Amino acid sequence: MKLNRSAKVAFAVASVTALVLGVAAPAVAATRSTVIIVASNALTSLNPGTPDTNLVTNSDIAYLSGSGFTYYDDKKNLVRNTTFGTFKVVKNTNSDFRVQYTVNPGRLWSDGTPITGEDLLLSHILLSSDYSKAAGLGDPGDTKVVPAFNAGGYTGVYDNSIVGEPTLSSDKMSVTLRFSKKIPDWELYGPGPSAVHALVLMAEGKSKLGTVAENEAARDRFVKAFQTKDTATLKKIGKVWSEDFNINTINDKTNPLLLVSNGGFLVDSAVADQNVTLKLNPKYNSGPKTSGIETVVFKFISDGTAAAQALANKEIDVYQGQPTADAVAQLKAIKGVTVIGGTNACYEHVDVRVGAASGTTTTYNGPFAASSGQKGKDLRTAFLLAYPREEIVEKLIKPINSSATVVNSLFTLPGEAAYSKIVGPNGVSKYTAGTQEKRTATALALVKKHYPTAKAGSGSVKVKLLWGQPNNSRRASEAALVKAALAKAGFDVNTTGTSGWSGFLDDNSFDAQFFAWCPSSVTQTGTNANFQSDGGNNFLGYDNPALDKILHSLEVKLPDAQITAKYIQAERLLMADAISLPIFAHPAATAVNSDLIGIKPAPLTPNLVWNYWEWHY
Amino acid sequence: MVAYIFRRLGILSVILFGSSFILYNLAAISGDPLEALRTSTDPNAKQQILALTRTLQLDVPPPLRYFLWLKGILAGFTGHIDFGKTRDAQLVTSAIATAVPTTIRLVFLATITAIVLGITIGIVTALRQYSRFDYAMTFVSFLMFSLPIFWVAVLLKEFLAIQFNNFLANPQIPIIWITGLSVASGVIWSAIISGDRKRVWQIFGVVALGTAALLTLLSLTSWFAKPGLGPIVVFGISIGIAYGVTQLSTGLQNKAALRSAQAMAVIALVLYYPNQWLFDHHANWLLIFAQLAATIGIAFVVGLKFAKIDRGPTIRTAAIAGFLIGIITLLDRFMQTWNPYMSTDAVNFRPIPTTGQVNPLLEPGNFWFTTLDILVHMILPTIALTLISFAGYIRYSRGTLLEVLNQDYIRTARAKGLNERTVIMRHAFRNTMIPLTTIMVVDFAGLIGGAIITERVFGWIGMGTLFNKAINSFDLNLLMAVFFITASLSVIANLVADLLYSALDPRIRAGKG
Repeated sequence: MKLNRSAKVAFAVASVTALVLGVAAPAVAATRSTVIIVASNALTSLNPGTPDTNLVTNSDIAYLSGSGFTYYDDKKNLVRNTTFGTFKVVKNTNSDFRVQYTVNPGRLWSDGTPITGEDLLLSHILLSSDYSKAAGLGDPGDTKVVPAFNAGGYTGVYDNSIVGEPTLSSDKMSVTLRFSKKIPDWELYGPGPSAVHALVLMAEGKSKLGTVAENEAARDRFVKAFQTKDTATLKKIGKVWSEDFNINTINDKTNPLLLVSNGGFLVDSAVADQNVTLKLNPKYNSGPKTSGIETVVFKFISDGTAAAQALANKEIDVYQGQPTADAVAQLKAIKGVTVIGGTNACYEHVDVRVGAASGTTTTYNGPFAASSGQKGKDLRTAFLLAYPREEIVEKLIKPINSSATVVNSLFTLPGEAAYSKIVGPNGVSKYTAGTQEKRTATALALVKKHYPTAKAGSGSVKVKLLWGQPNNSRRASEAALVKAALAKAGFDVNTTGTSGWSGFLDDNSFDAQFFAWCPSSVTQTGTNANFQSDGGNNFLGYDNPALDKILHSLEVKLPDAQITAKYIQAERLLMADAISLPIFAHPAATAVNSDLIGIKPAPLTPNLVWNYWEWHY
Repeated sequence: MVAYIFRRLGILSVILFGSSFILYNLAAISGDPLEALRTSTDPNAKQQILALTRTLQLDVPPPLRYFLWLKGILAGFTGHIDFGKTRDAQLVTSAIATAVPTTIRLVFLATITAIVLGITIGIVTALRQYSRFDYAMTFVSFLMFSLPIFWVAVLLKEFLAIQFNNFLANPQIPIIWITGLSVASGVIWSAIISGDRKRVWQIFGVVALGTAALLTLLSLTSWFAKPGLGPIVVFGISIGIAYGVTQLSTGLQNKAALRSAQAMAVIALVLYYPNQWLFDHHANWLLIFAQLAATIGIAFVVGLKFAKIDRGPTIRTAAIAGFLIGIITLLDRFMQTWNPYMSTDAVNFRPIPTTGQVNPLLEPGNFWFTTLDILVHMILPTIALTLISFAGYIRYSRGTLLEVLNQDYIRTARAKGLNERTVIMRHAFRNTMIPLTTIMVVDFAGLIGGAIITERVFGWIGMGTLFNKAINSFDLNLLMAVFFITASLSVIANLVADLLYSALDPRIRAGKG
């Protein structure tokens, strides 16, 4: 078939036009509104408040679906959520310290019921052993019987210092707590809102959302039971609170009362052991305004390589990676993914035993024993001097977090405001001055004082070291580095790993130990239990009345400058006695879809999701 | 026989008791469930330790705690079996109840595929003993046998998911791939069919050119982004199936069987559009099963119609052919779903996932979307598991068939003048299956134990994951439940295999001695 000239021209014009239109037409890219987050463990409960359900995924989901008075930001500051409510000290004497918490008017539960101060009362039941006992709900300290509200919060600071019960204001929007003294970090121990009307309705066997009037009536029934300590009613509510939220499948058959909350997102559906989907809460007004994300999905993937490939395949948007050098390198290699480094809340440290651990019956007579006087102190100092802290950070941590440094303060971590003020005056310079070779030489000289034949490799001082599970490869590498480095100072370190190591922390046959403390909050007294002579975490048998006095003085609220000064005094004593040295903050790595803006991983819970309202594409 | 079974069951319960006691105590002393709490600086860590000790009865020494656990299991005889709670307050039974279907979904299809593929290839290699194909498959099977699954999984994800999804954005197959694939398929088919040198080159040429032409066509039409077969191709494949099934089932010389199989293909063509209408308007599993039943019914009628004498084989042939043709029709329907599925917001043009069982963002309600979603999530794990496990079946079936072919009764069958098809399919193949049955039964019992690594790398939480999690978090109740179920199943499967063997093979009697 022959085409004439005009047909050819028409064809050419048409095809060029089509091509131009095709190229020039704007690509219609709908703005994404979904964030898919990898969770390493599956959802087990919508209530992370019991001892068994206090898991990361449960807490993250509870955080997205519930707003309270405060939250931790990525700089470990406790931020007040003034959209939800306010709190202030109303009385401040040595024996009577009162704080009033007020919910802003107009805040709503997702079922439309207004939030009031009455919704703050449940917290007291969950935190106070005295109330639990007085109301006949069981003794939380009993080793056999579970209390009616199986909460994980008993025996804390709140429990020890609360006086009486919270009182409601006449407009029912405020609750006042009374403490026996001005407790440090009192902001942490305030109440949180709970949808008590939903609990009451469920305790009464309902499985449908009530009207606002019904809900308020149900709430009144709770307040009455709370005030009159109505054991029967409270026990029913306690059963609902402790057990009914433990679900991992959520669909349209799920009791909607379980899902009533006040956070930015509501749990919409969940497939057991696979994923949880949260959707924007249309009635959300209890916290900062969200920025455009409408759906948040938690997908459970426990394998690091699988998560990395899912990121590359654009199946997921956020992944908090396994902090190993290989994993981080793999994540960095993926196109369209940003890797955010940083640290989490845990920090590794090395301790030296000086006496029998508190609460044990055996004695400690090893090389480091305080009872052997100057000899013990010299050997401890030598041990810490020769401890290869820089080498550990350089070889094991830097490949993961290139900005990692050796931590030099026992009470604070790099990044906290007081850290730079403490390092230096705290006497750590003894362990940081010069090169490691020089310090090892000094250490060897100290050892020689007591073992004249000591030399590198002589193994004159036998030390049994406790560290993590033998299959923890980073800890195993650390132990190997420690063994090699300390051999140069005449130590023979027994680094055989111990299964179930954490059960041996108070075993007096170990002379030294390295592991990590993982605080879940930043408090003035956070380190007290580790070093106080009767502290619950004092596994070292360290008993120093001067230190006890300083730590004791931290138990009341102090201005920041005074806290720093006390920390410096305390650390000087610990460093001088050669008790403990910090090593490094545990590294973290978060890989994020580069298009997603606003992810700022924080070291403290709820580390990844704390600012969900800032996320957007 | 009954006494034999009871005696075996008695021995099994002793084995279960002893091994569970040893495992319980070993697991209990291997680690500390309170590790995380002991290193917590929470002021109420003590309370949490107390609460966990209370829930898990950690204050009871492990050898005694074992009997508390055993009490819960033995309560099963009164109907109230109690596996206890996991350390995150879940009932162990409910954790197992979600894990078992996941594991079955993961491993069942892969095992079936591995068995079918492995036995087929095994038989072909045995029939073409010491041919190039035999050597090639021996090499491949040993290679696959020795591959670590996590590595296979990583490669599959990279090439079949990530790269394939990238490729779908512009589904043009590069020339080099077309050339490579064509040469590869030419080599494989010429090796399988085999013959003298001239014949081999002919086969190679035809297959390579055919593959090249097909791939070029698929590439030019962007077939991979918008796949589908259409009635004509479905009919073509159906006719092929009719010939193939008849050849294996009765031999092509049985005209009645061939005609009835062909009739099934014609009926499928005639019903193509009505079927599409049904698929569009009444799609659910009930419809699929109804269609399956209808297919068998039609095959029965067709078989009766064509067969004058010896109706059984004809009906069988028609039914198998009808079933396979039905699968092709269904496959065609899934292909038509592919493009709409891919265009949904949830999938966003990246249809092959690397992890998980379902896409949580996909709106429920569309039968074809949700079913396809499940299928695409199964593709990679199924391929991975099949690849590493089918090698065993190749070796077993090849070895057994070769042994059977050397038996006297095969020589007798040949001497009788039976044709080769009958000798292989009726006399050799059936006897090959006897020892393979034993292996299969034990393999299926092993399925429930899960595939720890496969589940982990594909993000499936099945029995393997539970087992792994239980070990790592020192969750004794969970560990023991997984152990108890897998151990019971495997000892029972061994018993069943023994009984089956004696039922299948008349030379063996279970019981005395």
